[in-house]
Amino acid sequence: MSNIFKLKLTALGHPNPGDFNCEDEKEYRSVILWLEDQKIRHYKIEERDGLRNIEKDSWKDAFNTYQKDLVSPVLEGTPNEQLNWLLSYAVRLEYADNVEKYKNAKVEKPKQAAPNVVSSNPLDNLDFSSPAFKAGVERVCTLAGVGPHPDPKFRLAALANILKTTPHPQPPPNEANLIQQPSDVLKLLFVQDLRDLQTKINESLVAVQTVTADPRTDTTLGRVGR
Amino acid sequence: MVVRQYNEELKYLEKINPYCWKIKMGFQPNMNVEGVFYVNSTLEKLMLEELKNSCRPGMTGGFLPGVKQIANVAALPGIVGRSIGLPDVHSGYGFAIGNMAAFDMGNPKSIVSPGGVGFDINCGVRLLRTNLHEKDVQPIKEQLAQSLFDHIPVGVGSKGIIPMNARDLEEALEMGMDWSLREGYVWAEDKEHCEEYGRMLNADPSKVSLRAKKRGLPQLGTLGAGNHYAEIQVVDEIFDKYAAGKMGIERIGQVCVMIHSGSRGFGHQVATDALVQMEKAMKRDEIDTNDRQLACARINSVEGQDYLKAMAAAANFAWVNRSSMTFLTRQAFAKQFKMAPDDLDMHVIYDVSHNIAKVEEHVVDGKVKTLLVHRKGSTRAFPPHHPLIPVDYQLTGQPVLIGGTMGTCSYVLTGTHQGMTETFGSTCHGAGRALSRAKSRRNIDYKEVLEKLENMGISIRVASPKLVMEEAPESYKNVTDVVDTCHAAGISKKTVKLRPIAVIKG
Repeated sequence: MSNIFKLKLTALGHPNPGDFNCEDEKEYRSVILWLEDQKIRHYKIEERDGLRNIEKDSWKDAFNTYQKDLVSPVLEGTPNEQLNWLLSYAVRLEYADNVEKYKNAKVEKPKQAAPNVVSSNPLDNLDFSSPAFKAGVERVCTLAGVGPHPDPKFRLAALANILKTTPHPQPPPNEANLIQQPSDVLKLLFVQDLRDLQTKINESLVAVQTVTADPRTDTTLGRVGR
Repeated sequence: MVVRQYNEELKYLEKINPYCWKIKMGFQPNMNVEGVFYVNSTLEKLMLEELKNSCRPGMTGGFLPGVKQIANVAALPGIVGRSIGLPDVHSGYGFAIGNMAAFDMGNPKSIVSPGGVGFDINCGVRLLRTNLHEKDVQPIKEQLAQSLFDHIPVGVGSKGIIPMNARDLEEALEMGMDWSLREGYVWAEDKEHCEEYGRMLNADPSKVSLRAKKRGLPQLGTLGAGNHYAEIQVVDEIFDKYAAGKMGIERIGQVCVMIHSGSRGFGHQVATDALVQMEKAMKRDEIDTNDRQLACARINSVEGQDYLKAMAAAANFAWVNRSSMTFLTRQAFAKQFKMAPDDLDMHVIYDVSHNIAKVEEHVVDGKVKTLLVHRKGSTRAFPPHHPLIPVDYQLTGQPVLIGGTMGTCSYVLTGTHQGMTETFGSTCHGAGRALSRAKSRRNIDYKEVLEKLENMGISIRVASPKLVMEEAPESYKNVTDVVDTCHAAGISKKTVKLRPIAVIKG
């Protein structure tokens, strides 16, 4: 957390962001006061007295009131969360005041270890939490006799295991067509994929043959038998 | 073996529908599961006749009848489901040819048996299509047959024309069709349209004897003898237009090339070596079988694993072999038509293995199980949407190539869901012998056979005409009966019928 505080304080131009210790009550309070005095400026100067009394116990009440006045979403949060929100709020205000100055700033993207692969396979983008998915799994599981489990993905894995190791269950007659047609489509798509793959394999083999092939015959070796 | 009267034997057999018979427990001792075989009324007679003959007093020697062999397989440790006889079933070494059986990999007692794979490991059929029409080929049929004959060495003791040294062979055994691909003998699309993508990954050439490698090295790219052949065929009938279209077969009269071959002497040696090892393992692990020919070892034993690794290497050998012949066929056509094989659209439709053991997943009693599936004279026939079939056939089911006999027609079928549940995704593999080789030689004259083919307008090139009668259509069951039974029983579906116009043979 303190790293974020440091970054945000630096962005806001705090005089010594590196030394700030959020665990120290006094420093915490003085940063809040600094934020209101220099950046947020929600109250008029005379209204800031409550926050200015850093040494007094009444400061806590003043801080609560202040957060309520700002409509902070983390009123119930930990002091660190409250400070974080205030810092973010201050950054937003700072940006809004100087849009022209900041809008051309570019964020240096951190380098990703793996390239971001966007899958074109619709199966990869299935929404596993959707009711349709859950209902589908439920239905097939009942057919295959897979017992209940709260996680539909878990049941799907069990189903896959069953389908791989045992003969497929017969669909009920009234649903036979419903299952036959999509499975026919899947089979045809699969055959097409397989054909593409086989063609690529053949092309590779032919490419290798251009290097290795040297078919020869020698008719003097031949001998017809009895 | 239990000796009973024929009438007593019949009590253990029950016809459960017009195309399927059940072999009940007790038909042979120690059966773990029931047996089953698929036949129509014509094939049924052959089956029962064979059993009847064996019941006659004084009948010893030779193979046991097919029904007995199916039941003996049902008594092997670890078998699941049923021991299944396909319509082309006939007696073989240990297992009947046309018998499939699956063993639970999860059961430590389960076995693998070289007899359940056969001596010609990964014997199989490959079908190439062209964009030619029968009328383009008829005028130069003789030249084309001769050209194929010149390119693909045939017969016992034939040697291939693709130069290979010992190191090449090691690599080929490990890489299978990937080797052919790397060296440029086949196209990338060929691999795509091949069972297992033309490579068994567990192949380990170090588990193969030097003797097998020595036998195999000069034989790569040769057709071999026996029932192996390369045929120029034309599309005679299309039963399933959509499935045929997916295979690039668009019209009646379209020219295709079928290659039926295996792993030659290499696979034979691998199987022979394994049988010796397994006899020892059986004694050690106290594995009891009804028939001495059913030599086997636990899948997890050293012998079992060594066999599976060597068998995989032999399977890879067979794929390289068929791939080399694909290359040579394309060359022969390109020369005759003065066009690139590309422009002749000479793509591999599919390549099936009908002598192999593979680890597959199947549903047994409502549970997915990992099984070691033995298919001997039986073709894998996976249904639509099975993950192990090429993408182009995902909607039609796996193409199943059924080679007929010399001079008769061949078929392309597709796998079905019913076959997946009933027969572990397996179907027939060809016509299936009706007469033994010796019997054929006694009863049929080779000149007559050749004359007959000529009269049918079929060009023929053979290395050893005197053995032709062993392969005469009369020695085999009628392939149409076999295929119709599979179709009617629902374990695979008829797609295309092909008829030969030129044959080259060992």
